[in-house]
Amino acid sequence: MNDLLIIVVHGIGVGAIFALVGMSFNVVFNASGILNFAQGNMLVLGALFAFLLLPTQPDLLRWFILLPAVAIGLALLLAVQGYVTLLPLRSSVEQHSWLITTLAASVIIGAILLIYQGSAQQSVRSPFTAIRFMGVRIPATYALTTGLALFWFIALHIFHTRVLTGLAISALSQDLDAARAAGLRVRRLQVTAFAISGLIVGSAGFVAAPVMAIANDSGITYVMNGFVAAVVGGLGANLGALVGGVLVGMLSLYAAYEYGGEFQNLVSLALLVVVLMVRPQGLFGRQAARRV
Amino acid sequence: MKTLRSVRGVSFIAALAMAAGAASAQPAPIKAGQFLDITGGGASAAEAAKLGIDMAVAEINAAGGIAGRKINMISADTQTDPTVALGEAKRLVQQEKVELMFGPVISQVLIAVLPVVNEAKIPQFGATGSEAITPQAAPYYFSVLINAESQAKAMIDQAGKVLNAKSGAIISDSGAQAKSFVEAMKREMEARGIKLTGVQEYQYRATDMTPQLLTLKRGNPDTLFLFASSGEDAGNVLKARDDLGWDPKVTGNYTVATFADAVIRVAGKEALHDTTGLNYTAFTYCDANLLPKPFGEFVTRAKAFDAGKAGRLSLPFAAALYDGVFVLKEGIEGSGKTDGPSVAAWIEANGAKHTGILGPLGATPASHFLVGPTALSAVYPDRILPGGLQQRFGCK
Repeated sequence: MNDLLIIVVHGIGVGAIFALVGMSFNVVFNASGILNFAQGNMLVLGALFAFLLLPTQPDLLRWFILLPAVAIGLALLLAVQGYVTLLPLRSSVEQHSWLITTLAASVIIGAILLIYQGSAQQSVRSPFTAIRFMGVRIPATYALTTGLALFWFIALHIFHTRVLTGLAISALSQDLDAARAAGLRVRRLQVTAFAISGLIVGSAGFVAAPVMAIANDSGITYVMNGFVAAVVGGLGANLGALVGGVLVGMLSLYAAYEYGGEFQNLVSLALLVVVLMVRPQGLFGRQAARRV
Repeated sequence: MKTLRSVRGVSFIAALAMAAGAASAQPAPIKAGQFLDITGGGASAAEAAKLGIDMAVAEINAAGGIAGRKINMISADTQTDPTVALGEAKRLVQQEKVELMFGPVISQVLIAVLPVVNEAKIPQFGATGSEAITPQAAPYYFSVLINAESQAKAMIDQAGKVLNAKSGAIISDSGAQAKSFVEAMKREMEARGIKLTGVQEYQYRATDMTPQLLTLKRGNPDTLFLFASSGEDAGNVLKARDDLGWDPKVTGNYTVATFADAVIRVAGKEALHDTTGLNYTAFTYCDANLLPKPFGEFVTRAKAFDAGKAGRLSLPFAAALYDGVFVLKEGIEGSGKTDGPSVAAWIEANGAKHTGILGPLGATPASHFLVGPTALSAVYPDRILPGGLQQRFGCK
């Protein structure tokens, strides 16, 4: 029983990272219909900044100063990526060149990391003391990623329901053409959505750095699990990403515990297949009418 | 006047003829392909390998070459990509017509190019560890790396004879070499009467090994056998063990010892308590005042050759590749030929006579891994001297 509780706590911590990537998928998807497959490597970039900027000795003040700075840096980078992605598109929902563009952005980031640091993996020591739970030490980072996921979930909810720009972005997810006809500056709002997703993955990468593998090829793990979290929860639904991420995290760790480490990655993909078969719109997704 | 011109002309022609004669008396250089994974995943190991090979070639050429023939090195980068490697191997063999090949350091890269080098019967050595690279699959290739089976035998020796362990659990990554290791461990544990209480694996670059360790903890083993392919992975296993407050003795592999800096970076020095790793005995010491001379001299030469690289690269790994070049040299000079069958047969029969940095080597028709379990020692991973020497287990 103790073992299972430890697995649950670790699963929530790991799953929160996937949930954050899932929410960043949703922000861009709701505004543009684009799935940004560069999110995994953007998360790794956030972690890389933590590696480069944090001192080897714990320094909480610097950590708190750098957290928003890195998030803003990634937001600017994502805004540029979003602008370049959207530039050739007449309509982001009717053309699909974004698939190549976002994958290309991911490949480019991976290649830059390879050139910069080779295939070596970097690691960051957490400035926070581990938490004692049932006689074992739990990395404080897991508490922080869980808190950050909840923070972004609430912040996005407020943004989309109470802030004018957020309401306008929500309108894009309803009907792009109607939003354009109503006078909304669609392209600018879509780039803003990319920037907000940058704030999420930038802060997530920085906070999660001590429990991440910071390497040129580790982005794929995070983007895959984040994507599964978003789809299992229901694309576009942030509550779904939150629940989906935690579900993926807990199930994958439980599979490793009960059946062996070789099942760890398999189980998240199996979950995706099962959910798509039973409930294609995801756990919290809405069924949408489709023009035929 | 006319006679003088004739004398000058005859003298000039005679001088030209003498120069041409002298040139033809100089043996043609041996073309050797430096076939390394300079970019991509194998880059960090290949850079150290290149340093060792470059040093050996420079020293051999300065001393007159192999059987009087200077080595003319032609470089190729596999990019750690089997497809690229195949193209580069064809270029070296078919266009450049190399007679020897040095490298690679990645098993799957070598496996991809074997049809090309086997057909051309090129003698070759590298630093690969896959059990799939047998003398049947690669008859003219030798490896200076320790294979999984040798590591398993040495780790069982350490656990059984030194630590008196009666039971053990295994944790490894999911790579091909690790799977060979697990199979070898199961055989060895059964043969030595050590009870296997559990086996777990993790994916490369996984950062949370808590579930795997919780499972293994249930079996209550005396020792935990750890086979990692990167120092970071090993560090994450040891960090998870520490976080769980679980303290079985950890018997680690070659990676745990030679990439101890990465282990410490991830887990901290404190996580290495009750942990041993494996290293070539040639790169270990007992008394800091009595260091192994061949490796010490190699470090001095490496610093003189390229101080920058010597300061940041793994010199034990460079030394292993350095020795490999000399093994091939001895094979060519001993057999009097450069073709793969002759050189391989000579090394199989006489490799044990090699006296280099690595100490006693040995290859047989059944195994072309030059380093066996007897050339390995258990070490304290965190007791490292500048240059990379590690203190052997049991030494104060």
